[in-house]
Amino acid sequence: MNPDPGTPNLLSLAERLGRVAYRNQGRSEARPHIVVDTAICNSGCPHKCTTYVCPANCYTLDEMNQVHFQFEDCIECGTCMYACDQGAVAWSYPDPEAGRGVNWQRG
Amino acid sequence: MDEQFDCIIVGGGIAGLSAAMTLARAGATFLLVERGEWSGAKNVSGGVLWGTDLHRLVPNYWEEEDGGWERFVNHRRLTLMDAGGAFSLDFKSDHFDAPPYTGVTVLRSRFDAWLAGKVDEAIAASPKPDESFLATDILVESVIVDESGAATGIRAGGDEFHARCVILAEGVNNLLARQVGLEKEYVPADHVAVGVKEVIRLGRETVEDRFQLRGRSGLTNEFVGAATDGIDGGGFLYTNTESLSVGLVIGMAALRESGRTPYDLLNAFKAHPAVADMVRGGETVEYSAKVVSTGDIRGVPREVYMDGLMIAGEAAHLVLNAGRAIQGMDYAMRSGILAAETALEAVEAGDTSSAQLQRYRQRLDESYVMQDMKAFQGAVHLLHSPHMTGALPRMACDFGREFFTVDNEPTRKATAILRDVRKQHIGLVDFLKLGASAARHL
Repeated sequence: MNPDPGTPNLLSLAERLGRVAYRNQGRSEARPHIVVDTAICNSGCPHKCTTYVCPANCYTLDEMNQVHFQFEDCIECGTCMYACDQGAVAWSYPDPEAGRGVNWQRG
Repeated sequence: MDEQFDCIIVGGGIAGLSAAMTLARAGATFLLVERGEWSGAKNVSGGVLWGTDLHRLVPNYWEEEDGGWERFVNHRRLTLMDAGGAFSLDFKSDHFDAPPYTGVTVLRSRFDAWLAGKVDEAIAASPKPDESFLATDILVESVIVDESGAATGIRAGGDEFHARCVILAEGVNNLLARQVGLEKEYVPADHVAVGVKEVIRLGRETVEDRFQLRGRSGLTNEFVGAATDGIDGGGFLYTNTESLSVGLVIGMAALRESGRTPYDLLNAFKAHPAVADMVRGGETVEYSAKVVSTGDIRGVPREVYMDGLMIAGEAAHLVLNAGRAIQGMDYAMRSGILAAETALEAVEAGDTSSAQLQRYRQRLDESYVMQDMKAFQGAVHLLHSPHMTGALPRMACDFGREFFTVDNEPTRKATAILRDVRKQHIGLVDFLKLGASAARHL
């Protein structure tokens, strides 16, 4: 009866981030607005939670289970600042001129 | 700059703009500083702006052909979900159809920009049109605090700006509230959630046909249970003019505990049969995420004022979800208005000390904002209890599956079905406690 029983369009995270309008995208070097002391992550953090709670997957694990951080995909949500309870995340807002960050088109 | 404003507002979201509008109308001078390229460029919400305060801020806002809002809410639905089922409480009434309306859906990038335009108009119409400004694309680095501990202005873009008082309306990630010591240096995960959302474009006609809407009417639908796979939180689906806002709000501590990612949970929500049928054929045009306060009153900063400074909106964690509506933007609006009224009174009196600005706290306490936040804390805790995302939605759906199924076998009465599903999912004492708690708190 239903002409189109298929599942809705489910997107990968990469496809989703492709729909985010970032600032200063043309700039080769943007100033990071979040600084992560990954030495803390990689020396006894029991959960390394930023690697899964971050909605933009800015925190990743390599094959050695080490945490790496990049700020370029950050959508300024703030999640890591609260989720990290180890004191590894120094969070601030991106500089309008020199930083990265988002320009929400809908929000 | 030697000039001293009556007030400096940090943040051009709803709280900041509501404060600005109030000041502009009263003829006070102010500088509003917004870090986004435009007001709204950094702002995300679910989002429904509940209540009628928008009419107070922008009288007869609905008369404008192309106002910044999306649809007024005249159809509401709360859905309890298990893996395959959706049991809803659904309410539609024509009393919702008359202006000033009691809720409108919004997309913040557009709504805030529109509201900022209204504030600009108010500045232009004020007695001092050249002495108040909305400045965008400027990040405030710090609040200037003098040796007596009073806020006297801000540092931004390498300059200092001074005012008789400062209103912080910087949003939930309230770094300046932390700098001045009203907010804790580290806010723990327990007091916040993370929202993730897609805006899914369907086209105006499809939105209206699929959701049985007319003109600018709209539907709001909140979900608990399988929406978040039983993790503390819930889902939402709101109709915009030609798109849907579909997303999840997930308790931060619970998410950390779960080991799951918010984007995979969002995909699972979209794939749930009840949601899939609503979003099918749509094109995701934006993905966004934002931390949101849980509405636990313990998350409210130590105080919302000090010498020379007040905190409004979500920067003060003024948010409430007591099961009826997820309120935050209306709290931002009202608290922004109340902070500005307090600022006006303080400037008039020539005293912006905390002794004077505690009137802001008083006004908040007297308003529906703090009255509701206080009265419904029990409901907040109930909604965050494991049964609300676990046993209860599963019971409702099991009940629904039997109650609504006709299979040409002898039919059991509702009470017998209820007794059975209750036994399957929750102990009697827990069930009675849940009922008692709901009766007391909701």
